[in-house]
Amino acid sequence: MSAMRVDTKVVMLGKESVGKTSLVERYVHHRFLVGPYQNTIGAAFVAKPIHVGEKVVTLGIWDTAGSERYEAMSRIYYRGARAAVVCYDLTDSSSFQRARFWVKELQNCEEHCKIYLCGTKNDLVQADKSVRQIDFHDTQDFAEEIGAQHFETSSKTGNNVDELFQKVAEDFNDSVFQLIPPGEAGVDLGQKKDSYFYSCCHNN
Amino acid sequence: MEGDVHTHSRASWDGPPPLPVERLRVERCDSPTPGLVEGTEPGAGQQAAMFVHSRSMEDLMAEEEESRGGPQPVAEGDAGSSETTSESSETSETSETSEKGLQAAKERSSLAEGRTKEEDIYSEGWRSHRKHVFVLSEAGKPIYSRYGTEEALSSTMGVMMALVSVVEADKNIIRSIHADGYNMVFLSKSPLVLVAVSRTCQSDKELIRELQYIYYQIVSLLTLTQLNHIFQRKQNYDLRRLLAGSEHLIDSLLGRLDRDPGLLLSAVTCLPLPSSIRDAVSAALQAAKAQSLVFSILLAGERLVTLVRKKDQFLHHMDLHLVFNLVCSSSSSFRDGEGWTPICLPKFNTAGFFHAHISYLEPASELCLILVSTDREDFFSLSDCKQRFLERLRKRNTYQALNEAVKTPSYSVDQVGIPELRHFLYKSKSSGLYTSPEIPERYRSEEEQERLMGLYQELHSRLHHSTRPLLSIYRCGETENLMAWLTSGFELYLCLTPLGTKVQAVSAVNKLLKWIRREEDRLFILSPLTY
Repeated sequence: MSAMRVDTKVVMLGKESVGKTSLVERYVHHRFLVGPYQNTIGAAFVAKPIHVGEKVVTLGIWDTAGSERYEAMSRIYYRGARAAVVCYDLTDSSSFQRARFWVKELQNCEEHCKIYLCGTKNDLVQADKSVRQIDFHDTQDFAEEIGAQHFETSSKTGNNVDELFQKVAEDFNDSVFQLIPPGEAGVDLGQKKDSYFYSCCHNN
Repeated sequence: MEGDVHTHSRASWDGPPPLPVERLRVERCDSPTPGLVEGTEPGAGQQAAMFVHSRSMEDLMAEEEESRGGPQPVAEGDAGSSETTSESSETSETSETSEKGLQAAKERSSLAEGRTKEEDIYSEGWRSHRKHVFVLSEAGKPIYSRYGTEEALSSTMGVMMALVSVVEADKNIIRSIHADGYNMVFLSKSPLVLVAVSRTCQSDKELIRELQYIYYQIVSLLTLTQLNHIFQRKQNYDLRRLLAGSEHLIDSLLGRLDRDPGLLLSAVTCLPLPSSIRDAVSAALQAAKAQSLVFSILLAGERLVTLVRKKDQFLHHMDLHLVFNLVCSSSSSFRDGEGWTPICLPKFNTAGFFHAHISYLEPASELCLILVSTDREDFFSLSDCKQRFLERLRKRNTYQALNEAVKTPSYSVDQVGIPELRHFLYKSKSSGLYTSPEIPERYRSEEEQERLMGLYQELHSRLHHSTRPLLSIYRCGETENLMAWLTSGFELYLCLTPLGTKVQAVSAVNKLLKWIRREEDRLFILSPLTY
């Protein structure tokens, strides 16, 4: 992992216990851990290479803690992110309010960051339609309004999870061709200065 | 960021002046029996201490306040003797509020709340817990309760706050209430009030120490600056909002206080490791440094493998225990990937956050590396440090040896070769490290383990009694004989078979000390490194 280049920074945002960590677990390790809820402490970083056509794009995924305590800290995690997966729990309407907050925050602070709205725990909704508290079409409208992509996933079954991150990687790949000549967009983890991460921090 | 920690040293962080290495070596070789003087006991480091094991300024001031503020405790029982029998002498502390007052208050509160809702807190089960811990704000708002929901306890906590304020109104401080076999101990640390209600035989001093741990755990999550700021802005703020999801850290810390001798002894235990390997690991950690790095800590489960620190910066054992607690009670979060979290080390500096890079060397490994940095932007350079550390370990085959040591169980008491000895705790004061064999079979069940810890806790509180400290204790019991010995160099607690005699116990101590001296380079970290 030492010399692994991270092509783009992806940040997971959302209210606590909506299942950000489970989503990352499912995507990166293809598993779903059953057991007592454990909150993320601070943030966790995972690098994951993903195939886009002929190319390999490495996503550097920041799984942040949803707890309010870390809110002031969250900027260091989403700063310079090219994609943000804003998660909400399909069975918890308050989590969608929180998602709106994060969308606004991103729109204000990170205009180049693409937003992916992600409704989690879809398996619960599939099992019992009455637990759904967030309407699909309302969210679809909201997503169009803010120019975001919209997914509904289940980390338990794996439904739509790979599609979500595949889309993130594809969008990044497309944007690279549009904006920056390829080869200049990466971050070398071994490199200390002039990295993408740093340059973004200092431009703030 | 204004809250960031800067690494200026403060007078109280400086450990005791290091003893000249030559002198230590000479004494080590010459003396056939282990030295009783601090710095020459088995396990004492050859260089400056690794931890601040002397009490910090804050502790000393707190103690002064106590002796000025509170009423003089009245001690009963046999004072001054260095040996005490198994009869527990009652040390009662006069307190401001009488028993009656409290009971009346309790009755009132239960009447006010009514018994229909949340009957769980009125159940026998709830009452019969050995130790309750409550945290509340100065406005009387519940923040944490070890058992039961905070909402259900809001009026009880209101009464607690009332007790604190009534006594405070007379320019006095409430310290404890003793009633009906219960000890209620109060610790007021503005803006928080912490209360322990215990049926254990721990002294008030011990309970206060445990409450301090809980207080520092909360500070470690938020920093004192933030805590003060919040309550200055809004006195009746519900702090549970900010602590949401972290209650399990306090729960697990309380569990640890009940069973981890390290917290009792204010010391840390090490993974037994041949010194050549430990030195190689330390050197690899030392080499993998970064500008902002202050401490590099390698843990194997709950045992320390090695700790490398910035020159002149010391880590307090309490801070290290808080780090242990964070890592061990959220094991799965850091298993894959790398964690990056703000953490306040309250004994170092209550004002700001450090940023800790936490990762396991391998997902399935017990070895966890914690790199503590002052710069919150430095994640990638610390991630790089970890890689360099790992590469160096692998290149020199140290990694394999280290992994093997992690897999082999610690040592059993049989290896010491003293038939009467069942278990012991030995703490080297100058290094702040302790060693102890695996818990023998007969004490392995949860109740027995807690009972054994309870015995040690009792011995500990007697040795360290605030008015009648003892130097040694020998105690015959039905199920085991106990011995404790405190010198300026070490603290030793022995659990012996009940059939032995005192003479045997004394000779066991001597044999044991010689054994520890022989094994010290495996059991302790004798040559800690700095960057």
